[in-house]
Amino acid sequence: MDWLSRQFSTRVIVLMPIAIAINIVLGATVQQALKLPIYLDSIGTILVGVVAGPFAGLLTGVLSNLIWGYLLPAPIGSTTIGPFAIVAGVIGLLAGVWGRLGLFRSRRGERSSIPGAVVAVILVGALAVYTYARAYASPTDFQNNTGFDPGTIDQSRIFFLVILVVFVALIAVALFLRRDVGAVYAIGAGLATGIVAAIVSAPIAAVVFGGVTGSGTDLLVAAFRAGGDSLVSATLKQGLLSDPMDKMITSFVVFFIIGNLSQRFIARFPNGERLVSTSSM
Amino acid sequence: MTTDRPTGSPPGPPDFVLQAPSGAYLSLNPATKLLVAAVEVEAAFLVGTWTGPILVLLLVLASAAIAGVMPRLAVIVAVTVPIVASIVLINGFLYPGAVDVFVRIGPLAPSVSGFLFGLQITLRLLAASLALAVAYLATRTDDLLSDLERRGFGRRATYVIGSAIETVPRTVDRAAEIVDAQRSRGLDTEGRWWRRARGIVPLAAPVVFGALTEVEERTMALEARAFSTPGPRTVLRVLPDSTPQRLVRYALLLALVAMIVGRIAGPLGVLP
Amino acid sequence: MSLRLEGVSYRYAGSTATVLSEVDLVVERGEVVGLVGANEAGKTTLCLVAAGLAPATIGGRLQGTVHIDDLATAAARPFELAQRCGTLFQNPATQLSGTAPTVWEEIAFGPRNLALPLAEVVARVDEAVRLLAIGDLVRRDPARLSGGQAQLIALAGVLALQPAYLILDEPTSQLDPQGTRLVGDALAALAAHSNAGVLIVEHKTDLLAGLASRVAVIEAGRLVAAGPAADTLADERLPGWGVQPPSAVRLGRAAAAAGVSLG
Repeated sequence: MDWLSRQFSTRVIVLMPIAIAINIVLGATVQQALKLPIYLDSIGTILVGVVAGPFAGLLTGVLSNLIWGYLLPAPIGSTTIGPFAIVAGVIGLLAGVWGRLGLFRSRRGERSSIPGAVVAVILVGALAVYTYARAYASPTDFQNNTGFDPGTIDQSRIFFLVILVVFVALIAVALFLRRDVGAVYAIGAGLATGIVAAIVSAPIAAVVFGGVTGSGTDLLVAAFRAGGDSLVSATLKQGLLSDPMDKMITSFVVFFIIGNLSQRFIARFPNGERLVSTSSM
Repeated sequence: MTTDRPTGSPPGPPDFVLQAPSGAYLSLNPATKLLVAAVEVEAAFLVGTWTGPILVLLLVLASAAIAGVMPRLAVIVAVTVPIVASIVLINGFLYPGAVDVFVRIGPLAPSVSGFLFGLQITLRLLAASLALAVAYLATRTDDLLSDLERRGFGRRATYVIGSAIETVPRTVDRAAEIVDAQRSRGLDTEGRWWRRARGIVPLAAPVVFGALTEVEERTMALEARAFSTPGPRTVLRVLPDSTPQRLVRYALLLALVAMIVGRIAGPLGVLP
Repeated sequence: MSLRLEGVSYRYAGSTATVLSEVDLVVERGEVVGLVGANEAGKTTLCLVAAGLAPATIGGRLQGTVHIDDLATAAARPFELAQRCGTLFQNPATQLSGTAPTVWEEIAFGPRNLALPLAEVVARVDEAVRLLAIGDLVRRDPARLSGGQAQLIALAGVLALQPAYLILDEPTSQLDPQGTRLVGDALAALAAHSNAGVLIVEHKTDLLAGLASRVAVIEAGRLVAAGPAADTLADERLPGWGVQPPSAVRLGRAAAAAGVSLG
């Protein structure tokens, strides 16, 4: 119980509303300015999860959605974000787990981390190859293993590859910009979070909103359905494309931010020791 | 030095602090209004396919009229029109497996069952959203938070929610400034997607860093005001409640459970 | 009964640099002690240590002892410290809770946190309002105040805890001249009418000259001078320590250098 109450120390209580505001503002303003098919509305949630712990992350996510959906007036308030509070909670919870596992620690100049990172990339690659071989070998395999309509196999192949490409590209960019091997783990964590988020949000989008939530991704859902997908399949596919990309990018940004915050500042948070890189102590 | 206080009463907070909400429906205890909204939302989803949403919509409109918040509710309805239209149209034109398609135009296959499906989803969504909207419009956030805190939520939850609501507008302004500043430094927001993607970090990072600089100062200021004292803090004002309301709330709580049981066991699912 | 730092050295968490070395300082009830020094000399750290916020809230390593009356800060919890020693920081905006709709409720924030009976909360708010003469501000929205007004409300909020000691870390540094005057006058009234022991850090030595009975100088984490205000503020080594002497002192020196006598 002490671990639980430490996760809600005064410092975390101060951070949470700021993180909630970051979620809402980035989700609305910056996204509007850049017009890309990502949400960017979980940066605060993942940040709190990583520095403070799973339950703080969970609450930040849930409260962000509830406040954004039900306590803020238009034009900031969103009418479709409330029911996804569960998804946001899961994202925060996972971020807390990754944080405790030290996946967001800066590993700049840590030679000893390189083998581990290489193994991680190989693992992801192997998993991808396996999935591709099992599910995309032929239309019947596709239907049997994923439950999606065999007619959509080509489309799905492309999106699968897109995700992989983004994964590799992000890691390449991170390594180029910061030479920090830790980025591999953070982005990998983002990929995992994105997949889980997609799976949890698909039924909500389908049942509550009929697959239409008012963001640019609706067109994608419509396209899938025009191709013959059922409602849940279409929302799941759209999610499996957008969410991993969004969460990988978000995790990358959070990793970058934590790497740039002062050690003094980070050390005071519940997860502080797991985030301070050993090479600079 | 002038703090208005009713004469002859024990020293209490001044009137402007004590203000209780007044007006039909508005003066109900926040917990009551919240529970009503919760029951309405659940009913919209669990009671039949059309019965629930239609009943709830009628209830919502009635309570909005009583509370006098119809104009503001109309604004909220207007905001949801685009979503509603999209849901109906997309489901109408792209409902796979429909047998009553009337014409095929390329991938579009408008069908009656598709439109009905879309309409049904829309009604449910509207009923649920407007139920919550009425609760929001009929309750001052401060009142709701005070009441929740008094019932056991604790000062930390109240602070987080209250502070978040206050921080959002400030952060919006700061984000807008950052977007402008970065644009004037050459940030591309109109070009090809990879150029726009390069804008993610230059926009997100300053917003986040700027917001985080306050954390230490605010933490110390809160601690210096004894924020982390264990236990509940002094209640400044108790929002009016009444026995009838309490009874109604118990009934509503029972209804919440009963609806779930009714849906699983069958009777509610049989309704039209 | 006093606020005592004895042999205090301090290091922030996650850092290896010692920011305070062997500091001995005493603040008695009823006296105002000024603290001056260059930027980064350790003034804010000293304030945090004296108030007990370091290490209780921000961690770090404290050597030596700090006592607020009979309470040793090393093992104390922040809310225990807050009742004995109030702290005012530089930035008015971040000191206000941001969740109170009126100034009155903002001031009541501290006493409410202590779970005091409602009548006591009301009494304390009224007392703080009276002490700082801000009765005309009580209905206002705290988010819409000028910098100086906000700082006054923050001060009122701290005073409402009725601490025996007050630590003010550059209370006017982020205020415009009008705000500075407002807060300066309030501090003068406070010094005259309250029995709290005050430690005030200020760059504006003119302000200190009128408020403090004693002044200490800090350089690179060590106290290099301490004594009666008039003497310390006239010390010739002040500029060398990065501190500008009060205008009266500078005027006196300029006059003497020009051979003019100022009676």
